[in-house]
Amino acid sequence: MKFNAYYEPNTVAECVQILSEQGSDAKMLAGGTDLVIRLRSRVLKPKTVVSLNAIPELGEVTLKEDGLYIGAMARLMDVSKSELLTGAWKIVKTGAGNVSSMQVRNNATLGGNTCNASPSADTVPGLVVSGAIANIVGKNGERSVLLEDFFTGPGKTVLADDEMLVSFKLPKYADKTGAVYKKYSIRGDTDIAIIGVAGKITLNAQGEVADMKIALGGVAPTVIRVPKAEALLTGKKLTEQLIEEAAVIASESCTPITDARATKEYRTEMVRVWVRHVLTDAAQEAQKN
Amino acid sequence: MQNRANYIQVECEINGKPVDLFISPDRTVVDVLRNELGLTGTKQGCDDGNCGACTILVDGKAAKSCSMLIGQIRNKKVTTIEGVSDGDVLHPMQQAFIDHFAIQCGFCTPGMIMTAIAILNENPNANEDDIREGLHGNLCRCTGYVKIVEAVEDARDQINAGGAN
Repeated sequence: MKFNAYYEPNTVAECVQILSEQGSDAKMLAGGTDLVIRLRSRVLKPKTVVSLNAIPELGEVTLKEDGLYIGAMARLMDVSKSELLTGAWKIVKTGAGNVSSMQVRNNATLGGNTCNASPSADTVPGLVVSGAIANIVGKNGERSVLLEDFFTGPGKTVLADDEMLVSFKLPKYADKTGAVYKKYSIRGDTDIAIIGVAGKITLNAQGEVADMKIALGGVAPTVIRVPKAEALLTGKKLTEQLIEEAAVIASESCTPITDARATKEYRTEMVRVWVRHVLTDAAQEAQKN
Repeated sequence: MQNRANYIQVECEINGKPVDLFISPDRTVVDVLRNELGLTGTKQGCDDGNCGACTILVDGKAAKSCSMLIGQIRNKKVTTIEGVSDGDVLHPMQQAFIDHFAIQCGFCTPGMIMTAIAILNENPNANEDDIREGLHGNLCRCTGYVKIVEAVEDARDQINAGGAN
């Protein structure tokens, strides 16, 4: 591991200035739990490391009129315990709490877990079904991107060299909304997810599905939604039969790979099972909320 | 090695003492603790963020020192295994590990003890499930965890009784 320069800006503006000067030579350091390992193994060889740890505003979690704003540097441990994440937003707590061990969660951040753009990142499916918006700042100003459009491939995002993710916005959730994330892994949280499934269901007064989202992790180059299954269930009263049909559609719409953790066939089959469990639980949550 | 022109200044507190480092920014915390400061109680195990042998406390919270660049402890209070007792009397957690024979080869022990202290910092009444969940990120390849969990429970009870040692 060798890099030439280490910067620790105190403001977002200062950070963007450094990023625009350094271009593709720079890597941002959030919690370091992924970056430092990859620097050491030489998977990444940046010339410059820009630490975000001295920019206080990036760690803030604020409830505003139009939703909840979570700073990109909010630590996963704090997110997993945040009392501001109520009701259907609790799915974001679950995702953060599912990442690795206590030691890792104390350092790792919500923005870091997102910007690594791992297809199996535990926080992302829950954020996607919550309709999270990524707020980005760059040399040319601010822009916002729906989180599901933020990823372009494994390890790849829409961020330009001079841009940084500053916060997530979670729009307010409707009444009668339930959201559930389930991770499947061999060795619990410490292990990387074989698959991760998030589902969010909003019911109307008649108990029919007014709105719903399904997001799958670990089964495609990025976290994906399943619009066909969502369309099938929307406007209907949920039955076991319908949920099973949606689960089959979800398993048919993913394109997993075979790796050390599982084969693609196993992942496909587990998506069917996990989508069924997640939707059943989310519908129950929705009735309670 | 690095050109000293790239060195950074890192002021921090380690085991209660102020430390002022002038150091290459590409070094990890565990590397500096062991090889610059002689604090070899913190073990370098997998060096990959998995085994937990390098666990230290940063502002009272457990962290894996192999996955942190030295700049990340700037202005922080770091505690290593060398800093948990005053040098005369063992910390109740250390004593409990000995009393319960929660040690075989001993390599994971400093990390286990630091994590266990962090678990009780976070929740002084941690039950067995909380302890097992908290120790999730620490691997022991000898004892099978039962005695380690028993040691942490005993230390918890002694600390809560207020009179350990």
